[in-house]
Amino acid sequence: MELGTVLSIILLAPLVSAGLIWMFARQRAALAMTLSLGAAGVILLCSGWLFFGLWDGASYEVSTEWLTLGSFKLSVGFLLNDLSALMLFIVAFVGFWIHLFSVGYMNDDGARGRFFGGLSIFMFSMLGIVLADNLFMMFIFWELVGFSSYMLIGHYLHTDEAAQAAKKAFIVNRVGDFGFLIGIIITYWTFGTVSLTELEQAAGIRPEAVTTLMGLLLFCGVLGKSAQMPLHVWLPDAMAGPTPISALIHAATMVAAGVYFLGRSFFLFTEEALHIVAWVGVVTAVSAALWAFAQRDIKKILAYSTLSQLGYMVAGFGLGTLYGLHHAGDAQTALYYGIGASMFHLTTHAFFKALLFLGSGSVIHACHHEQDIFKMGGLYKTMPLTTLTFAAGVIAIAGVPFIAAGFFSKDAILYVAKSTSAPAFYLLTGTALLTALYMGRLFFIAFLGKPKSKAAEKAHESPWTIVLPLAVLAVFSIGGGYLILYPPSLQVLIHDWVPHPHGADHQLMIIISAVASIVGLVLARVIYGAGAKTDKLETTLPPVYAISKSRFYFDEIYLLYIRKVQDRLADIIGFLDTLVISGVLVRGTAGAAGLLGIVARRLHTGSVSTYVWWFFVGLVLFGAYAGGFLEGILK
Amino acid sequence: MTTQMPIAFLGGIGEFLQSAGAASPVLNAYLVIFAIAIPLTMAIALTVSGKLPDPAVKFCGLAGFIIPGLISIWLAAIYAAGNHDGAYAFQVVRDLGLERFGIRLHLGLNGIALPFYVLAGIVGMAAGLYAIQSGVERLRLYLILLLVMQGGLMGVFSSVDVLFFYFFHEFALIPTFILIALWGRSGRKAVALEVTIYLTFGAMITLAGLIALYVFSGAEHFNMAALRIGLVEAPVQGTIFGLLLIGFGVLVSLFPFHTWAPRAYSTAPAPAAMLHAGVLKKFGLYGLIQLAYPLLPQGAADWAPLLMWLALGNLILIGFVTMAQRDLKVMLGNASVMHMGYAFLGLYAFSTVGIGAAIMMLFAHGLSVALLFLLADVVEKRGGTADMKDLGGMGQKAPVLMGLFTAAMLASIGLPGFANFWGELGIFVSLFNSDTPWVLYVALCGIIISAVYGLRAVASVFFGETKGEFQGGDIKTSEKVPALLLLIALFVIGIWPRLVADPANEGVEHTFPAQTLTVTLPSTEISMTK
Repeated sequence: MELGTVLSIILLAPLVSAGLIWMFARQRAALAMTLSLGAAGVILLCSGWLFFGLWDGASYEVSTEWLTLGSFKLSVGFLLNDLSALMLFIVAFVGFWIHLFSVGYMNDDGARGRFFGGLSIFMFSMLGIVLADNLFMMFIFWELVGFSSYMLIGHYLHTDEAAQAAKKAFIVNRVGDFGFLIGIIITYWTFGTVSLTELEQAAGIRPEAVTTLMGLLLFCGVLGKSAQMPLHVWLPDAMAGPTPISALIHAATMVAAGVYFLGRSFFLFTEEALHIVAWVGVVTAVSAALWAFAQRDIKKILAYSTLSQLGYMVAGFGLGTLYGLHHAGDAQTALYYGIGASMFHLTTHAFFKALLFLGSGSVIHACHHEQDIFKMGGLYKTMPLTTLTFAAGVIAIAGVPFIAAGFFSKDAILYVAKSTSAPAFYLLTGTALLTALYMGRLFFIAFLGKPKSKAAEKAHESPWTIVLPLAVLAVFSIGGGYLILYPPSLQVLIHDWVPHPHGADHQLMIIISAVASIVGLVLARVIYGAGAKTDKLETTLPPVYAISKSRFYFDEIYLLYIRKVQDRLADIIGFLDTLVISGVLVRGTAGAAGLLGIVARRLHTGSVSTYVWWFFVGLVLFGAYAGGFLEGILK
Repeated sequence: MTTQMPIAFLGGIGEFLQSAGAASPVLNAYLVIFAIAIPLTMAIALTVSGKLPDPAVKFCGLAGFIIPGLISIWLAAIYAAGNHDGAYAFQVVRDLGLERFGIRLHLGLNGIALPFYVLAGIVGMAAGLYAIQSGVERLRLYLILLLVMQGGLMGVFSSVDVLFFYFFHEFALIPTFILIALWGRSGRKAVALEVTIYLTFGAMITLAGLIALYVFSGAEHFNMAALRIGLVEAPVQGTIFGLLLIGFGVLVSLFPFHTWAPRAYSTAPAPAAMLHAGVLKKFGLYGLIQLAYPLLPQGAADWAPLLMWLALGNLILIGFVTMAQRDLKVMLGNASVMHMGYAFLGLYAFSTVGIGAAIMMLFAHGLSVALLFLLADVVEKRGGTADMKDLGGMGQKAPVLMGLFTAAMLASIGLPGFANFWGELGIFVSLFNSDTPWVLYVALCGIIISAVYGLRAVASVFFGETKGEFQGGDIKTSEKVPALLLLIALFVIGIWPRLVADPANEGVEHTFPAQTLTVTLPSTEISMTK
């Protein structure tokens, strides 16, 4: 079979599944699960076939015209290259295991048809972003993942929290898309094309046409989708959705789409734009890590950690590309250093963050929807497998040297930071320490010590559909830094494009990672203790805790804007619309017309049936007129 | 192998349609007349028949809506299979003895008219299906009026003769007033009076503009094809364009002539709101695209700066007004006013991209707004009120209704996968290439504003705790069928936009002579007459 056909099958399988579920399986949970899982299986098998034989590693593009309006042509097509292949692997692989997990996790949910339909729609939209060969197509699927995210965050309809969170996620993403779409349109009118390959050539020929404004507007889309400051506010709230959704959409794949997009369009960013991109990433990474310390909800802690890690990736892209631009070595590969650094971390993060979220899901499932870590404790006894795999996730994200996937990928980012910007390097290193600390806090309080609630006491190990995905992801979280775990066709990106420190830098990086991760974890154990009942930070250093808890007042400021500015303005304009335009202008005119009406009324009876009859007299006359009878009569 | 089969299949359909179009040009032309005559005949039949059993009334009503709808789809398929180069297809010309006034009965469809024509057919089917099951009092009269409206709608968009174009519009408009006055919500009498005065006023200004256009163009016939050959001199163009812009603008609720729309749509019975907001309102923009812009490019250029501000008023100011609404139907009425701002901006950009996209946008908007008014009516019936403060948590009791409403709302706020997206995207693309690229930045705020009010409405009606009374269960099949008809149409165009884009593009490229599209004379001052 042709490559294009296989890619079409990969893209369309989940769409077909969603359509079938919508038509036939809204009330049949088992069928919905089978269809959705089947589609995920087809995606995994087909991409496996691509990576182990069908695809030779060369860039492959196919496209067809979709819409023509005058000079504006929009096409849809696939572009499979090293970058999109890696992303396809992540979506297919992690996606499949999360589908399997969902089968176990959602077993008592009343609306599984809607849930699995939504999951399939999400897979379709996400794969569309991955395979898209042009910016407009990417934008289309960009909006569609926003829709599936909206639908799945709002899964628990009856809770106000879910309704608000779903709405917030969609609207905040729309704010980002506002800039994104302007950026795409500017790109289109500048280069006359939005095809990624053509743009890369055009930008190479006319580098002066690439402006900072263009890059920054495109980056707005990343701010929304990858939840970077100041548009990060929707992601923690999105935890109101079911846990598998948090794992798949709000940790492993969709939120990483922004980073993927940066890699896909790296040639559209000027040096100034890259500096801003990098600093947005650094600030997000540090701030989110600080905010994680005041969270009690296991999923919220993980959400802030996702924000922080996404900040790492964005910073890694900006710093890595800058490093590549000024690097003396092989110029061609150096251009890809930003992609390598960010995408490698994206890959390992997809494994370990999906693992951590699924682990938290397993815990929540076992503790009857208890999410407060201070009400858990002692889970290692009742849930040994979950505890073990969760520990693997913690080790991976903390970046313990050599036994953690996160160690290798974080290393690459810290290395380009060190070579590009000293302040960014210090901040990111500090964040690495904070990461180990807050993840240690989560692990020691929730899993060790003694149970602190009935729910935690009665917790039991989850069924195999839940534990098997955990085990697989744990293997990749630990070993994901080694090439051997990846299909051969993906190794180019993970090996050649990732900037590796050499010599003294190499040793320095190992020392930094070792200190940050191990000291962080040990400190967490010392400060918080196993299975603590109260938050040590809250009791001993209330001001620090308050700062962390404030989350720098972003939500409060936005809420204030909505209440005091936006809604107020809407009310005022609405009032003026009624009073001035409708009241004075129109009613004034109507008053004058009303006077005329008094005269006219003498000519009419006011009865509707009379009007109707007059109307039909006219109608008959028209018929006669149109048929030419009238003419005959008049003659 | 996998790609060949569907292509061969489609090719087969295409050949069949081509031969059907070539074999019976006369029959297809007569179908255009039938599409107008059948609803009117059914209306007459119901009027003169006296009291009929209920099923017979419903059957007549249904036939009067379904047949024109099917004809419109059939003609669109034939049209798509042929090659027209901007000429009118399916032409019917009848001399009515008014030749000395340049007036003939002249029907036909070109690429610009076709999307509107199909829109009228599809929305008519949905409105008819919804009306016959609505259980209103005096169903016979209700259906008579709606059928007259439908006949007028099919006539408006298939008229080549300008007098008939105008006449059919009036024909469809008058039943709207009566429908509001008799079956409306509270305050219907006042609203009916206001709408009547307002729209009649707009229509009269339009008529003045159309007659001026005819007189000054020196055309032999008062029809669209003949007028294109004539030429109006530059100073007069501005005056005539102004008349047409204001007249048509009132009918399309151009800011600040919009206040009738939300009141009329929230008060009118659902099928009337569907037909008026969905189709009849498009008359104004259709007239601007078909007549004013191609014939009066200089006038359009003179008025462009003012039009830009008014269209932004539609988008941003009415966007905010929409956000402030608490009544679901009033909100939808305002939202539909807001969306007209996009279409006007597409015209303002004055390029094949912008005008083609405006046509796509109007087509999609007609479907989505009709669907939303239908579903809002179902919500009102179930919840006993349309006040969003008193509604809530309906999603648990009526999941299918929620799914349909959410889909319709997302379609109307421009989610890809539904037809509306393409029109909006094309308009945005065209705006950046206009003389004022900054307008794009302002106009795009609209996508945020519409997301805010759209999702707020979905959240307050369907999410959260159950509020208020809920009667009647989930959406019934008889209500679901028309809703699905509209939703499927939105979806089909959403994934296959060329169905609308190709005829629109062909129509625009041939209707607008190449040089008029390069006429860009942005006068810095806002000229009212010149």
